[in-house]
Amino acid sequence: MNKNKYLLMVSSIGVFILLAAAAVSENFLKDWHGIQNSAKTNEGPIDVRLRQIVNPNLKVTDRCVTCHVGMASGEQISTDLKVGAVHKPVVHNPTEIGCTVCHGGQGQATEKDDAHGNVHFWTEPMLPAKYAYASCGTCHTPLNVPNLPTLENARKTFERLDCYACHRLDGKGGTLRPGGNVTGMEGPDLSHIGLKGYNAEWYSAHLQRSQQETNGAWKTSFSEISEPDRAALKIFLDTQMGAPKLVEAKAQFNTLGCAGCHAVGNFGGDAGINLSLSGFKDPNQLNFTRVPGEHTLSNWIVQHFRSPASTVAGSQMPVLGLTDNQIDLLTLYTLSLRRRTLPDLYLPKDRVRAMRFGAREFANNGETIYTAVCSSCHGANGQGTRFPGLVANPSITNPDFLSLASDEFLIQTIRSGRPGRPMLPWGERENGFTLDEIRGLVAYIRQLGGNVQATPDTQPQIWAKGDTALGANLFTENCAGCHGKNGVGGDGPALGNKAFLTNVTDTFLVGTIGRGRQGTVMQGFANPSPIRKVLTQAEIESIIVYLRSLNAK
Amino acid sequence: MQAENYSALHEFWTNLRAIPSHVYRAMFRGGPPKTDRTRSSFIFGNVFLHLHSVRTHLWSLRWSTTMGLGIVTTAAFLITLVTGILLMFYYKPYPDIAYQSIKDIHFIVPTGRFMRNIHRWAANVMVVAVILHMARAFYTASYRKPREFNWFIGWGLLVTTLGLSFTGYLLPWDQLAYWAITIGANIAQSPREITDAMGITQWMDIGGLQREILLGSDKVGEEALIRFYLLHVMILPLTLAMLMAVHFWRIRKDGGLAKPKDADERVAEEAKEFYPVFTDSPAKTYHLAAVVKGKTSAVDSGPEHTVPSMPHLFYAELGVLMLTTLICIGLAFISDAPLKELANPLVPENPAKAPWYFLGLQEIVSFSAFMGGIGIPMLCVIGLGLIPFLDREKEGTGEWFGGPGGWKLVKWSMVVGFASSILVEAFAIKFGWLREWFPDIPQLIITFVNPGTVLTAIYAAFSIWAVRKYNSTRAGALALFTCFLCGFIVLTVIGTYFRGPNWDFFWSPSDWGGH
Repeated sequence: MNKNKYLLMVSSIGVFILLAAAAVSENFLKDWHGIQNSAKTNEGPIDVRLRQIVNPNLKVTDRCVTCHVGMASGEQISTDLKVGAVHKPVVHNPTEIGCTVCHGGQGQATEKDDAHGNVHFWTEPMLPAKYAYASCGTCHTPLNVPNLPTLENARKTFERLDCYACHRLDGKGGTLRPGGNVTGMEGPDLSHIGLKGYNAEWYSAHLQRSQQETNGAWKTSFSEISEPDRAALKIFLDTQMGAPKLVEAKAQFNTLGCAGCHAVGNFGGDAGINLSLSGFKDPNQLNFTRVPGEHTLSNWIVQHFRSPASTVAGSQMPVLGLTDNQIDLLTLYTLSLRRRTLPDLYLPKDRVRAMRFGAREFANNGETIYTAVCSSCHGANGQGTRFPGLVANPSITNPDFLSLASDEFLIQTIRSGRPGRPMLPWGERENGFTLDEIRGLVAYIRQLGGNVQATPDTQPQIWAKGDTALGANLFTENCAGCHGKNGVGGDGPALGNKAFLTNVTDTFLVGTIGRGRQGTVMQGFANPSPIRKVLTQAEIESIIVYLRSLNAK
Repeated sequence: MQAENYSALHEFWTNLRAIPSHVYRAMFRGGPPKTDRTRSSFIFGNVFLHLHSVRTHLWSLRWSTTMGLGIVTTAAFLITLVTGILLMFYYKPYPDIAYQSIKDIHFIVPTGRFMRNIHRWAANVMVVAVILHMARAFYTASYRKPREFNWFIGWGLLVTTLGLSFTGYLLPWDQLAYWAITIGANIAQSPREITDAMGITQWMDIGGLQREILLGSDKVGEEALIRFYLLHVMILPLTLAMLMAVHFWRIRKDGGLAKPKDADERVAEEAKEFYPVFTDSPAKTYHLAAVVKGKTSAVDSGPEHTVPSMPHLFYAELGVLMLTTLICIGLAFISDAPLKELANPLVPENPAKAPWYFLGLQEIVSFSAFMGGIGIPMLCVIGLGLIPFLDREKEGTGEWFGGPGGWKLVKWSMVVGFASSILVEAFAIKFGWLREWFPDIPQLIITFVNPGTVLTAIYAAFSIWAVRKYNSTRAGALALFTCFLCGFIVLTVIGTYFRGPNWDFFWSPSDWGGH
């Protein structure tokens, strides 16, 4: 019978030991206890207690400051303690909005791995410091961002015109200039001028002031500014939101024509996936089997840009041959595509404009529209592209093309697209291009093609005469190899496409078939050639009549 | 009339000093439990202890008799009760907020994580122990007259325990919880498979009704959460406590634990260590039962070969209680209770799995919902519940694997139970099932011809064979119960370890991909 007594004794001792161990680890062995014990302010040791930042509006309960004690309000840690560091000055007060809104991670956690979100089942790990600016995208939508060359030029203009003499921007310039007030002075800080808005008449006001003053920075640092420089400054100022890296990243996105295939927010193509929340992917749900490197979302995105199809099986996205710097910027931009439900109090203007009023996220000048949307298919210079396994995309800056294609033809093509082909109806989609934007785009295309204007055409749209049957034979013989049977398209454009035939003039077709497009495989059929048949004017017109008959079907 | 030199002040001072001993004596009226009589009064004078008989048969105290499984279950319940009440101080039953409160319990509530871990482990220990306890009661044939009703109560306790565990599963409001409950609710909806096939769902949607009663809505949401919470913290624990009271009471009223007929002789050696019963006053009858007529088992039998429950039974009970506590706390140290991502109705877990003890069901539900989720479980509950009324033999009561066939039959039943369930599952996994072979087959056939049905038929056939071979209903019961237990184990293991995304077969969870 004694064995029951021993059972009771042994298991009671065991329970007691385990409870004592639990009590010790609970009260003495937690990391944050150790950190707070070693942290001291000038007045002495700090209270060892849980610290947190709570913001019910943002649904934030951030206990990060339990370890990062220096970032809690009002405590200056004098000890040489890495986690005791003070937050560097930023726009938003961290003691008000908390830590996780910007940095990600798990605010409620009090242990390092959990708090930094590097654990299974936490969908939003911390953003790497390198991509920290991506966090602005949680609430903000940078608007009016041009392409990268334009932005670079605008920034250089701002520097060249010595605006830094008086104005501070992202912590540079103004009175921070070497020499202080000698050469610089205190003008308004322009870091967030793109969000706040500014007086459109600033230039005349500046000019007037500079003419009144007799010396000082007004005289030495400001003089008349040329029209193009002022345009560049406007572009620059409109994009200032205190996150230069993010704006640069978005400018990179707007340079490579990504929106031609991918939608972001309220606009974009539909060949690729919608990227609107692609910065919010759960790394635990991603497939890393063929991804080298660490299992983080940012690395996954980087590797994906390097080699899309080997990261996502079956991806149609071509290898773009990006440089490391470009990949970095694009990764930062992709990571910035994140969202948080915000109470109205915290909704920034830019997001309201983008979400509720459909504001264009990129600058709506012809150049930016071209680089942001068209360039991935039609090439940075409009020379056309060809990706393995995908339809070849025509050159649109070919002088032979531009001289035949009227502005109306180009505008109509951009507006209505080519149904059934990769070219989308960019003017007829939801939140599509306005007529003014398309006009600017056409002007930019002509500029890209060396300012070739269309030869004026006085003929009616349809004038060619000929025999449909003969045209059909000739088409099958000469054209179908590239343009496909019945003009359904192949390596060459689909000539049987209804939107094309409705829009195109006979003059355009006769000219193109006869003269060809130099620099492409399309040789002029009216030109003498040793390797192919030369077509007469009547034969060419018959082919056109045949093509027109396709539209009637 | 007071004595002459009486001093009230002195009296007060004496009383003041005597308070501790007076309070002690007022509390334990019988005095210290040092004689058999005071030991007895220690028990029947105590509201908490008087469910125990004052003397315990030595047979009952043998470790091999019960292995303490009933006490393990009770202890686990008490542990979940204490830790559960502590958790209730911080838990907030509302979607999303519930998840945040579990995070708070995990990260900042002092010892919160520890308590939650203990709660979770004690709950699992309880489920395992209640199943083993049932197996013990079955294999020692302890369900027989007069204990048939207590076997019933035991079934009620098993179902209530599973219900408690299942309702607790939803409360953390994470992905694991959300989708497990979604699966559970879909199993409740499975009668719709029948009504659909008969085309009467429109008028009589039993499955839909069951699901709606369970969830309070058409999906797992705030209504389901508050419902599960109420069931988990109030209705089911009260039910369980009440059933437990009846269960314990009946043990006593049914004559204590079941003993073999020759138990007295078999404990004779041990009994020599103890004083005979009639130590204090041999002339007196031991208790009132001696003059009571009736069927109570203690009637007509002397309390020989028994020892005072205080302290012998209490050492055993407290020992098991502390051992269970040790196991739960130890497990809580080793492994944290799971908490996945916040529940997201838009992102289904793949695979979404029910709690482990329902994975055997989920495995057969994957072939057809009605048979797997309702038909076969009902068959088990009703069939096994009726065992005491079907097996009314006497032979082998109180003996492990007692009765015709014995351990040899149980061994063969295990072979049949394991082999047939593994083979049927292997066949279904390798070659598919009816729908893959005959896509146009009527739904009713698919509903009823489930690997589970096939297994049930095999088990039934085997146990009929056992009944005939040994010419004993107990033999049939032994065969059937063993087979079902083995089938339950096999199906649960397959559902737990070998089923991955889309409920496809995988040799190891590491082959699942994705995560």
